[in-house]
Amino acid sequence: MTSSPRSKEPSARGFALEKAVVSFRGTAALDGATLEVEPGERLAVVGASGAGKTTLFRVLTRGVALSGGRVTVGGRDLYSLSKGELKGVRRRIGSIYQAYNLVPQLPAGVNAALGEVGGMGALATLRTFLAGPDAALASRVAGALDRVGLGDKARARTADLSGGQQQRVAVARLLVQSPDLVLADEPFAAVDPVTTERVFEALLELNHEGATLMVNLHDVGLARRFPRVVALREGQVAFDGPPERLSEEALNEIYAGDDPHQEVVLPEPQGDGGPKEPIQLAEGRDGVSSH
Amino acid sequence: MASPRTEQPRIGGAVPRVSWKPALVVLVILGLTGWSAAGVGFDLVELLSSTGPIERFISGMFPPDLSARTLQTTARGVLETFQMSFLGALMGAVVAFPLAAFATGEDATVGASRGERLLRVVPYHLSRFILNVFRSVPDILWALVFVVALGLGPFPGTLALAVHSAGILGKLLSETLESVPSRPVEALRATGAGALQAFLFGRLPQAISGFTSLTLYQWECNIRSATILGFVGAGGIGQQILISMNLFDYPKVATLVGATIVAVLVVDRFSAAVRRRLVY
Ligand SMILES: Nc1ncnc2c1ncn2[C@@H]1O[C@H](COP(=O)(O)OP(=O)(O)OP(=O)(O)O)[C@@H](O)[C@H]1O
Ligand SMILES: [Mg+2]
Repeated sequence: MTSSPRSKEPSARGFALEKAVVSFRGTAALDGATLEVEPGERLAVVGASGAGKTTLFRVLTRGVALSGGRVTVGGRDLYSLSKGELKGVRRRIGSIYQAYNLVPQLPAGVNAALGEVGGMGALATLRTFLAGPDAALASRVAGALDRVGLGDKARARTADLSGGQQQRVAVARLLVQSPDLVLADEPFAAVDPVTTERVFEALLELNHEGATLMVNLHDVGLARRFPRVVALREGQVAFDGPPERLSEEALNEIYAGDDPHQEVVLPEPQGDGGPKEPIQLAEGRDGVSSH
Repeated sequence: MASPRTEQPRIGGAVPRVSWKPALVVLVILGLTGWSAAGVGFDLVELLSSTGPIERFISGMFPPDLSARTLQTTARGVLETFQMSFLGALMGAVVAFPLAAFATGEDATVGASRGERLLRVVPYHLSRFILNVFRSVPDILWALVFVVALGLGPFPGTLALAVHSAGILGKLLSETLESVPSRPVEALRATGAGALQAFLFGRLPQAISGFTSLTLYQWECNIRSATILGFVGAGGIGQQILISMNLFDYPKVATLVGATIVAVLVVDRFSAAVRRRLVY
């Protein structure tokens, strides 16, 4: 019972994309992206809106269909795993998104406990559903909530918490899951600076404990605090290296076409019936965006 | 920066230009109206000239029969109707729940093998089919079926309500389950949660208050339905109303109908008040 799930399940710490292609109805969101990440690394992903950042994160949990290339997690081809093996790999990957992480109707404590639900059998799932987490899990949940400063909110309905508090509950769920690989897609976009710092610290701590950490950031300043920065542009890796090498010109190149002064880009009449860019509100380098 | 040359869209008034499409729609509606009116023998003159029998019926109802025996019959009828509608909704909800769970399509089939898909598709279509049959047969027809099978009384009526309620609730619940925000469910799936876990902890908590509200509403509908199931001998106050009608005992009919209206209103109000207080 007390043996850590890490011992019996294969590691998912390092991962690699080889010319990965993901298309949505003909448009490539990832267009031959190649990226290799070693176990225990810590990296930030930046890029203009629509560059494929969220898609990059989703492809790593097999959340979207892959139309070309290869994705390996922990050295194993993610898209050729069986259902059971995939579940095992997913167990080792923790995700946190800008919003919509949590089930709003459940108490915060149950949401945090859901970090562990992937490892439960059907009976344990039913028992947890009807009677709540067992004593061992409950104490881990309490510890995780304490660490994010929400020790007193375990019984509060998640929907009644503030946005920042909800984001911290999502971090607590990560702590309960204690994954090998942490994927954070714009975790700070809807959060105040103090909470940002706090969530950031918690993520770094997971990294110090050995987990690989990949964070998608709109804030380039925050991204510079990572030893490695990866920039996506039109579904491809446009920059990969330490932040010192990321010059202003390189940044302008990466964010070209994502001019923060633009208000609304009206689609120009086009002769061909090809796919048109959707109307987008301006999203600067540190703007808040959906997805 | 030179502005791109764009076609200036012509902006007309609030009334769209007459085109043949709306005209056709109006013609079709008019045609259907005439055809249906002729079919049912719609006759305004007859309605207005036959005030005599209607007047006699209504004046015959007054004063309502408030004798102790009638009141007793009425009370028994109302209570029975209430019990039928309540049990019908509850049993319907219990049956609807598992059917709806199977009838809920899940889109996360990325990488699922053909066998796995089949394993999901068969219960999905089967439960949809069952729900459709339950729902598309009106409760009064179900009542006839059960009366033939089980004999007269409130029990077949209750079963009829339960089956029809199960059909309606199952359909609505599966729609509720499907329309729930999918991001929390996907977040669960991404951490390795299986179908059962994603359903119990992701979809269900988001749908449960909607389901409760739907069940209460179905109860309201059932108490209205339960009043007429008696016409086919399936219990409830309708049976008393039919008997009194056949005996031309209009004062008693008045009491029974009045009590029915009160009972329906009470349940409506109660259920609406509870539904308002449900937290989403
Ligand atoms: N489910 C989907 N269906 C259709 N198109 C999609 C879908 N998801 C993403 N796309 C498209 O793929 C492209 C990349 O999307 P993605 O969400 O990865 O961008 P992003 O870099 O995360 O952008 P943002 O910074 O705005 O979140 C976009 O053009 C988007 O419209
Ligand atoms: Mg995104």
